[in-house]
Amino acid sequence: MIPRWARDARVQVGAGLLALILLVAVFAPLLVPVGPDDQDLLATLLPAAWQTGGDAAHKLGTDALGRDVLARLLYGARLALTVAALAAPGAMVAGTLAALLAGYVGGWVDWLVGRAVDVWMSFPPVILSLILMVGLGTGSRNVIFAIILVDWTRFCRVLRAEVLVVARRDYVTAARLVGFGHLRVLVREVFPAIVPLLITLLTLEMGIAVVVEAILAFVGLGVNPDEIAWGQMIADGRSTIFQAPLNLLAPVLAIFVTVAGFNLLGDGLRRTLDVRLLEGRQ
Amino acid sequence: MVLRAAGLCVTAQLGAVAVPVLRDVSLALAPGKVLGLVGESGAGKSMVGRAIAQMLPSGFAISAGGLEFAGQDLLAMPAAARRALLGRQIGFIPQEPLSALNPVRSIGSQFGEHLRRIGVADWRPAAIAALASVHLSDPAGLLDRYPHQLSGGMCQRVLIAMAFASKPALVVADEPTTALDVTIQARIIAVMRELQQADGTAVLFITHDLRLAAEVCDDIAVLYAGGVVEHGPAKAVLTEPLHPYTKCLLLSSPAIAGPRRGLYALPEQMPDLSALAAITGCRFAPRCPLVRDACRTTPPLLRGDSHRVACPHFDEVAAIEAAPEAPMPAVAAGTILVAVRGLGKTYRSGGPFRRRANQAVRDISFNLHAGEFVGVVGESGSGKSTLARLLMGLEHPTAGQIELAGRDVNRWDNAARALRLRTAQMVFQDPASALNPRRKVAAIVTQALEAAGLPQAERDARAAEILADLGMAPALGDRYPSQLSGGQRQRVNIGRALCLVPKLLVADEILSGLDVSVQAQLLALLTKLRAEHGFALLLISHDLAVVRYLCERVMVMQRGVVVEAGRTEDVFAAPQHSYTKELLSAVPRD
Repeated sequence: MIPRWARDARVQVGAGLLALILLVAVFAPLLVPVGPDDQDLLATLLPAAWQTGGDAAHKLGTDALGRDVLARLLYGARLALTVAALAAPGAMVAGTLAALLAGYVGGWVDWLVGRAVDVWMSFPPVILSLILMVGLGTGSRNVIFAIILVDWTRFCRVLRAEVLVVARRDYVTAARLVGFGHLRVLVREVFPAIVPLLITLLTLEMGIAVVVEAILAFVGLGVNPDEIAWGQMIADGRSTIFQAPLNLLAPVLAIFVTVAGFNLLGDGLRRTLDVRLLEGRQ
Repeated sequence: MVLRAAGLCVTAQLGAVAVPVLRDVSLALAPGKVLGLVGESGAGKSMVGRAIAQMLPSGFAISAGGLEFAGQDLLAMPAAARRALLGRQIGFIPQEPLSALNPVRSIGSQFGEHLRRIGVADWRPAAIAALASVHLSDPAGLLDRYPHQLSGGMCQRVLIAMAFASKPALVVADEPTTALDVTIQARIIAVMRELQQADGTAVLFITHDLRLAAEVCDDIAVLYAGGVVEHGPAKAVLTEPLHPYTKCLLLSSPAIAGPRRGLYALPEQMPDLSALAAITGCRFAPRCPLVRDACRTTPPLLRGDSHRVACPHFDEVAAIEAAPEAPMPAVAAGTILVAVRGLGKTYRSGGPFRRRANQAVRDISFNLHAGEFVGVVGESGSGKSTLARLLMGLEHPTAGQIELAGRDVNRWDNAARALRLRTAQMVFQDPASALNPRRKVAAIVTQALEAAGLPQAERDARAAEILADLGMAPALGDRYPSQLSGGQRQRVNIGRALCLVPKLLVADEILSGLDVSVQAQLLALLTKLRAEHGFALLLISHDLAVVRYLCERVMVMQRGVVVEAGRTEDVFAAPQHSYTKELLSAVPRD
């Protein structure tokens, strides 16, 4: 029996796209013969292989420093997926803990968390992450840390509302009345109810993390110069957009496909896991 | 005839199977008459009203038969012409008054819109006159108010005024009083009667309450699983029912007056949609006490003249009797289990400058003996539920004290909590909210053992015992609550509270919102469990007949105060307080 969520077309397409990206990222050395930092200074700004003047060794051409665009694209996927896979769960853990605390305990704790989220979210997220990056310094670890610090509020706000609803259910009171402690009630009764929403938010957040990482790399405050990032490729390709448009378009397209994959997956999961949506349709 | 349905069939498409939801329903409603459609949930009674409005749920369609309104064919009519009838010639009174009014618009704005649509140019005086006709005080001031500022009963009266504003030929009232208290119900019914008689309107009155229907209607049609099983004059249907289902329905709800009698507990439940398609014979046959082999294969026809019945064995129906009821167990004044003295709870709200205090309960004192069943009755807002929450320690009292098994449990320490856990358990009203949808039934009923940290094997053994106690198959332990019927869910709800065999069960409206046949099953279950385990019960209910049936003592609450308390028989036979009298007189009788 295939579970309901796995039968959804959105989930299948999204998960398929992401699996493909993961595979090319892992097997990048086998797919392209040259390294991402290998320079061929005699062949800079080559067009793609199928265009006139193209070289079969450089499928998507080369950039202004003679580096292979395809190689950089595939190695760049490693960073994008790493950031997505670490930053999003990090933000999830922080946001979920705050949401459980606020929604279940209520009262002044709820007030405090709510105001913290309000103040936090009043900063434009990109500006906030830029400020954080200035303070923390560049590097992929700091990018992940900055995304967690900025985006825990997304989880917190949505999940708090959900926890609030679940915590008012009679079965939570009933669990207390048969002798469950607060911690056990949270873990056994409240948390399972928010898991579907959590999974959905997590996949969407992974897409967001990819975009934020690209933005930070684009303005030069993301990863270190020796790491390969799609945002940096866009920044580099900007100056030669008329001579070699692929230098810019290839990473843009890569970001687009990755984020679309996460969003499709998240949307499909939301439609099949969210109890309220299912109830509405029946 | 204002309304005539001839052989009306409504079919639902469930996947590949077409399920007959309404089967061959033929009804006629003369001008100025009231026709009651009675049946339990799933009988298809609301479907008739929806078919008139052509507002069937998606996947449902009228597959055969005709529906005529004042000689016009409602089904063949173009949609625009039918819409023109709705609200003008055909009025509707909905079940949930609060959700039928738009919360962000004032009463005046909604009433005015309706009146302009039916062609009243100067709507204000017309609206005021209409609101006055349903006996709402200060109708002019009401126009500027919003639905949330009115009570449920007032909202329903506004909706009745709207439905009757165009002097329609037909009004369809779908369970108009189900969501309301019994005294409000009596007032609403009186108002509807008055308007209906003044205008000579025909009313299609849809309800699950056979006694209420008998009081309100001229004729009654009893529906079972989508078909009319009995149709006749209201008095005749109530006093000499010809169909075994009608008889069993009457026998399965406890009476408010007269000698104490047993309840007839119909086995199982009405077949649901998916099961309907497979039944070829009489749909009531699996539950019928008079069933013959022929019943299972040939569907019975509706026969007779003025009082029609779809059962060939109608002459035996009068002989159906409920098991004789053992007299109310005489509980010796045993040990005092709960002693409540001067209990009070005040909720404070508002900011630091405008504090408001709301006294939910005030100065309540009573004793509850071991093994005793005590009912608490009163209208919504009378503080019944607050009393239950105070007893369970879910709220802290602001005054007075509670003693449980001789120990003061007011102080909030671990010892008091442990004592409460061992002594008292609560059964919640709504199983949809009280049962975790992600826990299996076996895990729900043994949750208390999980809390105590017992191993899985012991929990499984106890789960099997509890399910047997509840009269449920052991296999049901592996299901999730959403896979159970309403009655089974309420059983599980009770079973969880019984896991540790408490001395006191506090039950908040556990028998309301259920069909009478399910209610009768649960009443039998509670009586059986009482004999086996000997717990005491504090039953909070707005249903006086149920309290009369189950409880030895009763407390009547009004606005947070116990206005009358005593032995159930005495209070019901000779009520002292005016409020008790009002409550009792509002209940429809046999």
